Amino acid sequence: MQILRKTFGRGYEKAVELGQEGTISLLKKKGLLGRGGGGFSTGQKWEMVLNEISEQKFVVCNADEGEPGTFKDRFILMNNPEIVIEGILTACFAVGADTAFIYLRGEYDYLESSLKKTIKSILEKTKSKTKIDIVVGAGAYVCGEETAILNSIEGERGQPRHKPPYPTARGLWGKPTVINNVETLANVPLLMFYDDWNPNLRLYSLSGNVAKPGVYELPEGTSLKKLIELGQPVKKIKAVYFGCFGGCMPYDDILITSENICGKGCMLGAHTIIAVDETKSIVDVATNIAKFYEFESCGKCTPCREGTMRIMNLLENISLKNAKMHDLNTMQELAEVIKETSFCGLGQSATNHLLTALKYFRNEFEERVIEKKDRKRVGR
Amino acid sequence: MDLLLTELRRIQKKEGFVSEKSMKLLSKKLKIPISKVYGAATFYAMMHVKKQGRNVIEICNSPSCYLNGSLDLIKFLEKKLKIKSRQTTKDGRFCLHICSCIGCCDKSPSMKINGKVYSNLTEKKILEILKTCRS
Repeated sequence: MQILRKTFGRGYEKAVELGQEGTISLLKKKGLLGRGGGGFSTGQKWEMVLNEISEQKFVVCNADEGEPGTFKDRFILMNNPEIVIEGILTACFAVGADTAFIYLRGEYDYLESSLKKTIKSILEKTKSKTKIDIVVGAGAYVCGEETAILNSIEGERGQPRHKPPYPTARGLWGKPTVINNVETLANVPLLMFYDDWNPNLRLYSLSGNVAKPGVYELPEGTSLKKLIELGQPVKKIKAVYFGCFGGCMPYDDILITSENICGKGCMLGAHTIIAVDETKSIVDVATNIAKFYEFESCGKCTPCREGTMRIMNLLENISLKNAKMHDLNTMQELAEVIKETSFCGLGQSATNHLLTALKYFRNEFEERVIEKKDRKRVGR
Repeated sequence: MDLLLTELRRIQKKEGFVSEKSMKLLSKKLKIPISKVYGAATFYAMMHVKKQGRNVIEICNSPSCYLNGSLDLIKFLEKKLKIKSRQTTKDGRFCLHICSCIGCCDKSPSMKINGKVYSNLTEKKILEILKTCRS
């Protein structure tokens, strides 16, 4: 796997050789895009921070992959943490920051001690004076959002901030800040050092009803069928979810590219694939995801705080066969309002799973709704 | 630099939860209002402001685990320990939390007890794990 190659500090040395602007232009030339889900050009992000005039700048490594079904960052941090640290050092050098933070999600706290050792050994090897601190989170899905991380590190409640200003202009303690995902930073030393670095290779996290779940490194645009077959499903696969926020679509032989998935009304994000087989009901999965969002909504804005709770109640009623047909329409309308009026990405995507489920698997929802004439018969 | 979140985690690791007394001390130490300390402490799912059991069980119920039968295991645990989520057993030995994804979707269903991950769970496996927990 490309992501498991070692660079032994030589990626950072190459960056120092090239200088700040040289490093950034190499990043742009090789076409490294953010791997956390946004897909923003990393070189461009770094350039924006480099061009800001400030006495202090920060680099934050986002190791808070809270998206259910995603575990690629854990895979990198366990198997090749050296390149992540080297990527952080390179980022610090390129933008002129002297302090970096790794925001490690609370669920991965067992990785903290080994990461500390890696940081120490890399700093000794490269003789860099950069300070790298680990801040361990405490279990909040919304803290995967970049501005929420900033609030969390500063000691506020981990709620998202308004954008603009973007963190590249005003981030941690109001200073320009680079925030990059673990996989993005891991690729930095690889592309600096290896001429044959392939920008198309991505990590896919495959889980759900497959016998061989795991992290697969495949090119962007691999066919969905090929990926699922690598996972060796036991039963027939009915649907795939792209994490909780990405929504679902019927299992089909399409190429996994952002455009293709967007065309289905879904979002590809961090290349998370959860396979659902034919024995599972989409209504039950939707209820499970609705519970997740109700629990994880941070409470900052009303549509998300109240809406996710209402959606959960409606779905529970439907799955217990207590709902009427018009509840389905109410739910769809509410889901659309939440999507359009929420403050941050969490709320805006909190009902995407439901809207896509209603689009492709509406019959399963309708089956759980009692018809009016049946309702009289059962005495309601 | 003393970061509030790091300090809160340190207290919880030492005492099992963040009491009102330690919040007051922390607010003095960091020179910030206690409301801010309380606000941060109650925001996170893994922070507790109430006394916890001697063994904290966090079992994942996010889609990947759910599709592999986590709900049955949660019901099994609730029956076995005679508590619901966010409750503590009468003898104070266990408390149970249903939590969001813990990033072990490739080894689902999974849970964490006192920070240690146990994966590919079955009812039989859970019974064996519970036996090894501190009494």
